[in-house]
Amino acid sequence: MDWDKLVQLLVNGVTLGSVYALVALGFSMVYGILKLLNLAHGDVLMVGAFIGWGVLGWLGGAQDPSVAVWILIVLMVLAAMAGCGVLGVAIERFAYRPLRRAPRIAPLISALGVSFFIQNSMLLLFGADFRSYDSFDLVDVEVGIEFGPLRVWVVRLVVIGAALAMMIALWLLVTRTKLGKAMRATAIDREAAAMMGIDVDKVIVKTFFIGSALAGAAGVLVGLVFGQINHFMGFGYGLKGFTAAVVGGIGSIPGAMFGGLFIGLAEALSVGYIEDLTRGRLGSAFSDLVVFLILVLFMLLRPQGIFGKPEVKKV
Amino acid sequence: MRRGLIATAIAVLAFAAVGTAAVAKTTGPAAPAQLAACTNVSLGVLAPLTGPAAFLGQEQLSWARFAVSQYNRANGTRFKVALGDSQLSASLARTVGRRFVANDDIMAVVGGSTSQSVISSAGLFERVGLVSISGSATRTDLTSGQFSTFFRVVPHDAIQSPNIVRYVAGNLRARQVVVLDSQDDYSVPLSGAVARGLRARNVEVDRESVAADETDFSSIVANVSDDADVVVFATQTASAAQTLSNQLREQGKDAIVFGTDGAYSPTQYKPRLGYVSSFANDLRFLRSARSIVRAYNRFSNNKAFGTFGPPSYMAAWVAMGAIQRACADGNATRSEVTTQVRRTNTPSILGGRVQFTRRGDVRASKFYIFRVNNGTYRLVG
Amino acid sequence: MSANSPEQPRIGVDEWVASAAERRARTLAGRIEEIGERTPAAVKLLALALPFAVFPLLVDSSYLMQVGIDTLIFVLLALGLNVAVGWVGLLDLGFVAFAGLGAYLYAAVASEYAGRHWDATLAIPAVAIAVAAAGFLLGLPSRRLVGDYLAIVTLFFLQIWLVVLINASFTRGPNGISNLHPLEFFGRPVTSLDGLYYVALGAFVLVVAFLYLLNRSRTGRAWRALREDELAAELMTMPVNRLKLMAFAVGAGIAGVAGALFAPVQGAVFPANFDIVILITVYAMVVLGGAGSLVGVTVGAVVINASLEALRDPDDASWLFYAAVVVTLILLVRRPWWMPLTVLGGTIVFGLVVHEVAEQVRPSLVGGVPVGQARIDELVDSWVLLPEDIVTADGLPTGAFGRLLYIGFIAAVLGLTLIRHRVWRVVGLVPVLYLAAVVWENLLLPQPAVARYVLIGALLVGLMASRPQGLFGKLRVEIV
Repeated sequence: MDWDKLVQLLVNGVTLGSVYALVALGFSMVYGILKLLNLAHGDVLMVGAFIGWGVLGWLGGAQDPSVAVWILIVLMVLAAMAGCGVLGVAIERFAYRPLRRAPRIAPLISALGVSFFIQNSMLLLFGADFRSYDSFDLVDVEVGIEFGPLRVWVVRLVVIGAALAMMIALWLLVTRTKLGKAMRATAIDREAAAMMGIDVDKVIVKTFFIGSALAGAAGVLVGLVFGQINHFMGFGYGLKGFTAAVVGGIGSIPGAMFGGLFIGLAEALSVGYIEDLTRGRLGSAFSDLVVFLILVLFMLLRPQGIFGKPEVKKV
Repeated sequence: MRRGLIATAIAVLAFAAVGTAAVAKTTGPAAPAQLAACTNVSLGVLAPLTGPAAFLGQEQLSWARFAVSQYNRANGTRFKVALGDSQLSASLARTVGRRFVANDDIMAVVGGSTSQSVISSAGLFERVGLVSISGSATRTDLTSGQFSTFFRVVPHDAIQSPNIVRYVAGNLRARQVVVLDSQDDYSVPLSGAVARGLRARNVEVDRESVAADETDFSSIVANVSDDADVVVFATQTASAAQTLSNQLREQGKDAIVFGTDGAYSPTQYKPRLGYVSSFANDLRFLRSARSIVRAYNRFSNNKAFGTFGPPSYMAAWVAMGAIQRACADGNATRSEVTTQVRRTNTPSILGGRVQFTRRGDVRASKFYIFRVNNGTYRLVG
Repeated sequence: MSANSPEQPRIGVDEWVASAAERRARTLAGRIEEIGERTPAAVKLLALALPFAVFPLLVDSSYLMQVGIDTLIFVLLALGLNVAVGWVGLLDLGFVAFAGLGAYLYAAVASEYAGRHWDATLAIPAVAIAVAAAGFLLGLPSRRLVGDYLAIVTLFFLQIWLVVLINASFTRGPNGISNLHPLEFFGRPVTSLDGLYYVALGAFVLVVAFLYLLNRSRTGRAWRALREDELAAELMTMPVNRLKLMAFAVGAGIAGVAGALFAPVQGAVFPANFDIVILITVYAMVVLGGAGSLVGVTVGAVVINASLEALRDPDDASWLFYAAVVVTLILLVRRPWWMPLTVLGGTIVFGLVVHEVAEQVRPSLVGGVPVGQARIDELVDSWVLLPEDIVTADGLPTGAFGRLLYIGFIAAVLGLTLIRHRVWRVVGLVPVLYLAAVVWENLLLPQPAVARYVLIGALLVGLMASRPQGLFGKLRVEIV
């Protein structure tokens, strides 16, 4: 049993999972309140990654930053969160709000259009080249924590830690604050919440802001730990974040966190072991398949996900 | 209801009649343009300008445009560029191909970029004698004789893989190698050939695969055994090779990355130690090419480039040279241009000269192998 | 709440809604609909197919014939998608996988892949049935899924399909299958473009006829009931699950036919022939034309495919863009009739003024070289701002100015939609229209390949926000 490989895969899985969890949170929150699948969420992550890259360049670049590395990273994350929050609010206001009473298919198509528009606008404005965060120049690869023979790069730990911190903050927000209570109420029954005096529109705006800010932060984290960003990257993260939200139970915050971890680990472990498990018949090329099949299985056997409640249709 | 059915049946029969008549009609594209005036000539550029491979197509387009501007300036000609976005889609390449065929101003095509787009479009071009010169389609069987008006200025995969095998097994003396492909029509055949060649030399080969747009290789790296010496990575994205190299270091693996020609990019692929193969000597190293590089930086506002751009420059240059020669007597047909392309013997900005074999491959082509140390490239093979 | 006319008593909202049909009958659209209802179906079918049939006689360029064939294939795709999405309201985001399956199945029976050489009269129906069966199978697990979950699952099936296509050895991987046999009808091969076009047209006619009859049958009525209220339909003893499966199967079968026609036209099949971009394009077609309307999706497919082609070339693109702007303007400010002209005039004057001022104050703002070579671009050049060096020779913005201009324009358009007062909104249109021309000439035109997709995305969003039923669809209100 190759323990090193297993531990390495677990670390990879948790890193990926943290990012997916952040994306899944945004999905879950929006779905919980609006029953809308925000297919443009992955592209919000991409915009966040680009904002982070822009801030990095503005402050001297990875080779010669004008501020301390940790301050630089915090600034990048905050800038991305702010920018993406605003973007999310704009998307809600102009692409989804006019469609509150339209058939369910309309906002989904609008989301497809938004996604397409954002991707190609980035392509138009910034070109097709991959941009690099040069993270290894920023933080040397040797800097890390030792787990026996294994060394984990500190940036991975930063990603996991930051994601965890944000998730805890969000959980506190949702369970302990008035806004959180309003969000939960709106998710349960929008009309009743309005009748109770909650400004539903404002709650929705704030939800979008928070969800998109999380995606923006995820974008910067992705850029830091994997190094390369391009205009097309949002699609993959959107899909996997989707999957994570659904597997964990869409509309549920602990569900999104758990789902993210689950999918991240599934992806990492499948790449690592699929060849052994299928005795060489399926190579690592099929690891994506595993993730998709997990989703499909969940959808068929337990559509409400792990933490979700079965949806009861009211007549 | 019955009346509707009867009426419909009649309508269907009527159309069937028309259709059969149409089938019997033998039309195809118009007969090759007899004589096209040599004014207002365009080069068609067939490349993926949008979509996931846009960086490839945009670089090629940029260098093709640059070639046109340089050639016009040097020869007083007025060539133009006509765009053909294939979006990495073979069927679109065919549609664009037809568009090029129908446009009489287009006397030569630079492209298709991918082997798939060549398969879709070269047949169309051949039927009207329109020459197409690719700077990046490396699938070996494209020049097996099926497309008589197709040429390429880069050597094909059957030349690259033995080179890689020779260096990895011979010079690097690797005993255990991971061959990684990126699931597209460039990397899969190439990695297959490399894997076979290595196994024939008793090197232990582990085949892995990632999606073409993958940015995280951590799990693949976890699969790389501690005893592996080299990871041969067939990719068209140099930044992917860089990420792979970084993540190998991150996980403390000793294996070094050997990138195929798509990974060549001094701006994106700068590992601490790595190798990369290229079908051309680096423009930046050639003293003769220094002025070209400077001129390109001026033209493109310092846009970064890798291996895909300069060959498109050469393809465009060859095309324009051929057109100018064919037009020496005032007018020319596309077939005349193709004949002139066959006779090309022009110095290449990549070193040496461009001459074509009968099948359309560039003569005396070899692959160069570079070692990269901390981002510095050095020719080693 | 308000009186319709002096003779009628004050009526309430319900009565007003009930008299909607009467009111519609008095409009132009209503009158056309009335005539439509009286003409027999075959005549309508003829009228729909006539422009397509006449098309080859009007063009002699192989490029345009190719575009025509591609358009017909897209029309077939749109018709197939219309069944699931438009008639039953099932959101199928994996639809193009069926077309890909159809293409690969054709390759399997008509190439050296398996050494078979089936006649098209056998191959196409066989492929259609096989793909319909696949649609049925895909529908099986989806029966219990509610709208959005169905969308996710189907999207993931598409992903699975693409992964398998690219990596499995039996699909020949990324290289696809080449050298397909051309379509053969009773042994006679169809190799000319005209012939292929008429084959596609024949398929179109058959499919439209089939769908029309299906729509008017019991199944069609059941589908409509299912779409409006699934629970009520179930209570009315309609076999809801079977109906959903049928919808999937029929839509898939039609996609299979489209794929089976696409493959011999291209002469090869590759994994990426039917991917997410195609999916979004087909959705745009269905949505633009009006989900649920056969004529609508046909028109939508033609308009979008023709526009995409026209937008390929910078010279043709400008005509399309400015025409679209004018049309949108007319649709936005219809009352009174002279308003669009006034706004246009105002924009032109505004532009001239800005151009003059800029020329005096900062000549570099108008010194740039225009990209478009069409007549209309020449006209526009002296009117629009053309900052020097705003983009590189490749069309990429050189610095922050170009990018901020783009973002500023989007913000201006969005801000315009926020203005409530009608007068101010019309006034605000003037600078926004001018900005649109500036952005088009400077940022979009230099990169026509990308600009196309930016416009498609914007079209989808704008369409959904203003007219979700598309051109020919009916406005639906979902009872939740």
